[in-house]
Amino acid sequence: MSMTSFSDWLYATQFSTALRETTWVIPNLQTIHIIAIAVVIGSAIATELRMAGIFATDRPLPDVLHRYLPWMKWALVVLLLTGALLVIAEPGRTLNNTLFWIKMALVAGASLVTLRARRSLVLATAGGSSAITVPEASRGLSWLMLLVWCAIIFCGRFIAYA
Amino acid sequence: MSIDTTLQQIYDLPLSASIRESVNAFPLLESLHVVGLAVVFGTILIVDLRLVGVASHRREASRLIRELLPYTWIAFVLAVLTGIGMFMSNALSYAANTYFLLKMVALMVAGLNMAWFHSTAYRRISEWDETLPPPRAARFAGFTSLLTWMVVIFLGRWIGFTLEMVW
Repeated sequence: MSMTSFSDWLYATQFSTALRETTWVIPNLQTIHIIAIAVVIGSAIATELRMAGIFATDRPLPDVLHRYLPWMKWALVVLLLTGALLVIAEPGRTLNNTLFWIKMALVAGASLVTLRARRSLVLATAGGSSAITVPEASRGLSWLMLLVWCAIIFCGRFIAYA
Repeated sequence: MSIDTTLQQIYDLPLSASIRESVNAFPLLESLHVVGLAVVFGTILIVDLRLVGVASHRREASRLIRELLPYTWIAFVLAVLTGIGMFMSNALSYAANTYFLLKMVALMVAGLNMAWFHSTAYRRISEWDETLPPPRAARFAGFTSLLTWMVVIFLGRWIGFTLEMVW
């Protein structure tokens, strides 16, 4: 089944129709989506800039990561759920949209780095090595991560116009 | 009406027209607005949660506020500038939109709450800097801020669904 016929089928389902035709559903889902984006961005600023060596450098890295990574994880879950409902409501404008798939690829990449690589830094210190330092070379990755999160926001907004 | 005349003059500005007529200007402004508001609310959230009584990455509330506030303000300026850009492109429509007007009221409430906090609990912050949970006034300000900014986002999103274009 092609993506177009899949999205046509999804569009015709009762659930999709109900979401789309209940006027308050989409704006409110988007509101929750944006609030969760803010949680991710706030947490990303704190953790990535800590690793870039310009924020809260007097605090141990694991403490900073430990404070924000769970919030990031749950915000990403909320984003996934509200995002899935938005796709179900309007499959045509998302699934057949290249920008949407670029966004998904970026989200997958950024989430993976955050929830695996960043988390491993917390776990590493839980094992005993207390003084963990971030290598100079990985600072570029922190800036790249912040850039990717911003790019994701741009993709998200431009999906509506493509 | 003088307000309508002013709004019409804003609408007629060359900058307003170019935003209105460009294919990419509006989504670009919207994207930057979302980036701005995400940083504003994301960083305020960290402070508000501390004020409400959730432990943060450092114990001293005063230092937490000082290290986050510059990010909040820079992002707030970005959100205001991009917001003005969107407003200009359809000044009459926005001025007639209930959600837009309510959003401006909510922003004022957020500002007043911040001013109230700074003139009360924040003045005595040295007394409760490392105390968890903080005193009632600080908790109240933090909770009000959280709620108000979420209302701002809610109202902002609804503008896009209710704006009636004036051509």
